[in-house]
Amino acid sequence: MPVKQKEPLIMHPRPSSIVAALYTLRDLDTDVVILHGPPGCCFKHARLLEEDGMRVVTTSLDESGFVFGGHDSLVEVLEKVIERFKPKRIGIVGTCASMIIGEELHEAVTQVQPDVPVIEVEVHAGYRDNTKGVIMALESALACRIISEAEFERQKALLKEATMVEKRHGAASKEYLAPSRGDLKFKVAGRLLELIKEGKKGLNILNAKKETAFMFADINLAVDEAAKKFGSRIVNMANLDENVGLPKNRRNAREIREELTQKGMELHHIIGGLDEYPIAGNTASRIIGEKYQDFDFAVITGVPHALPMDNIKNMELFSITNGPRQVAPLKEMGHQHVVVEIDLHPKTLGVSHIVESEFGATLREMSRDA
Amino acid sequence: MPKQIAIYGKGGIGKSSTASNVAAACADEGYRVTIIGCDPKSDSSITLLRGRRIPTIMDLMREGMDIKEEDIVFNGYKGVKCVEIGGPEPGIGCAGRGIIVAISLLKKISKAIEDTDLVIYDVPGDIVCGGFVAPVKKGLVNEAYVLTSGEYMPLYAANNICKGLSRLEMTLNGVICNSRGAPNEENIVSEFAKEIGSQLLAFIPKDVLVQTCEREGFSVIENAPDSNIAGVYRKLARSIMTRNEGKIPVPLDDARLRELTRI
Ligand SMILES: Nc1ncnc2c1ncn2[C@@H]1O[C@H](COP(=O)(O)OP(=O)(O)O)[C@@H](O)[C@H]1O
Ligand code: SF4
Ligand SMILES: [Mg+2]
Repeated sequence: MPVKQKEPLIMHPRPSSIVAALYTLRDLDTDVVILHGPPGCCFKHARLLEEDGMRVVTTSLDESGFVFGGHDSLVEVLEKVIERFKPKRIGIVGTCASMIIGEELHEAVTQVQPDVPVIEVEVHAGYRDNTKGVIMALESALACRIISEAEFERQKALLKEATMVEKRHGAASKEYLAPSRGDLKFKVAGRLLELIKEGKKGLNILNAKKETAFMFADINLAVDEAAKKFGSRIVNMANLDENVGLPKNRRNAREIREELTQKGMELHHIIGGLDEYPIAGNTASRIIGEKYQDFDFAVITGVPHALPMDNIKNMELFSITNGPRQVAPLKEMGHQHVVVEIDLHPKTLGVSHIVESEFGATLREMSRDA
Repeated sequence: MPKQIAIYGKGGIGKSSTASNVAAACADEGYRVTIIGCDPKSDSSITLLRGRRIPTIMDLMREGMDIKEEDIVFNGYKGVKCVEIGGPEPGIGCAGRGIIVAISLLKKISKAIEDTDLVIYDVPGDIVCGGFVAPVKKGLVNEAYVLTSGEYMPLYAANNICKGLSRLEMTLNGVICNSRGAPNEENIVSEFAKEIGSQLLAFIPKDVLVQTCEREGFSVIENAPDSNIAGVYRKLARSIMTRNEGKIPVPLDDARLRELTRI
């Protein structure tokens, strides 16, 4: 019997599977989610998700709920949710507390018998990879026939890749990663403009995770504007395929694409959909290998560590991430300049237009003065 | 769908011996049987495996094994499939959660609880928390049996279990008397069964053979097939396999229970 290769310890806090399930339910256009657990669980994200129009409520399990079980609270909250919000689609999400004491989410559903679909996700935060929460939510969505078998398999393959990307060069790559603010934006912007002004050939790649593209795209847009202003050659690639993924991801890809086009930015290559960030980097790499190996620099926004180094290692690399713990791994991969857009994600919830980024603004300002 | 039963009763009353003898008797009749030991003591299947202790699901999980069916499902007497869930060290961690995790794993990697005729869940005496009813809550148990003697404390425990069953809206399919030699025992248990809305399925006499066979690592079905008590287990096994009407039990109040044990 093979001993599972013991996974190395990782000490820094990482994204939670419960939160991952919540975001997935949002992508599935769920109206209200009931978190079956303690009142403070996932507080920050529960609040943020409301910006995207999804209600999150909690059964507020307390000490006595832990001891005596929370079935009655769940029934009560489920009934109240139906009455108050008249949802068309409901989610019920487990937490560590309710799962450890053996709560059966389905019992409450059987008792209340709502006449709309209920996606039950028996998840807790104790999984090593938060993608587990996504898979569990999708499994239930599949069981409720909200997504197709084909879409489920597609998502599962993507999530496996996403987990690998994090293990190779991401938040799961080291025992401890210290957070960092990255390089100074005005210095990096200065160097980038220098290259553009020298007429160097550059790649401008958006490979962002889902709605974060609303802000990362602003950076690619600013780079494109600067390149146009100084007449240097820039090739734009983006994971904005609007024909793949869950409903919200398709919608967002279309919105961003339309806005970029309207602002005069031509997308030379579409490298995948908004949920394909773990594999779109490979597509980009292949295109670069075929056509652009002699380019001088590359700007990569979103999930830069998902782009293999093979075909870009001789370029000067500018990567823009929203993960303070992503700085060290990117530097280690060989990216010369790493910029962090702090707190990017919250600003991209509840929007349907491109949101201004600090680095984009810096670049525009400096390019105007130049 | 296989018959999926759980045997409940006070700790030490004889659940594991009854479960393994019934399993062996059913296997003799040609049924495919699976026994799942849910007690952290993991002593449900030893007498079906000639005294051998098999690795428990929890042991393997603790060691970080990549668990496959063949690591946890073992063929015992006449092909009875034996699984032991096991548990953490006493006083550490959460045994209830262990059962939940083990049951989902088993469902995922093995057909032992589907491709079979009878699944017996041998549960610990006290249903101390939500985890211990996971098999019931997850719809893996569709018949429950209560084992008791005619003494007050085992009956008290049996009555409590009935409270739990009625709360879970789980039917009780019969009461089994495992005798401890108390006076008037069969009548007491039979009356108890009637009053909670069930019936006495079998009266298993106290017989030292059970213990001597157990010490050698056998069921009485295997080691003393011609004994009187083996016959009793066979009869019980047949009635479990052939009947299936059950009723949600109506527990008695304590005063009535005390009175009963005086008759
Ligand atoms: N009918 C019986 N006659 C004699 N001894 C018995 C009988 N039934 C059970 N025992 C013995 O009682 C002890 C406890 O039984 P066990 O099955 O382990 O109980 P439980 O599983 O309910 O805790 C064992 O040593 C067993 O051999
Ligand atoms: S421990 Fe688990 S249940 Fe408790 S707050 Fe954290 S994520 Fe929620
Ligand atoms: Mg036992």
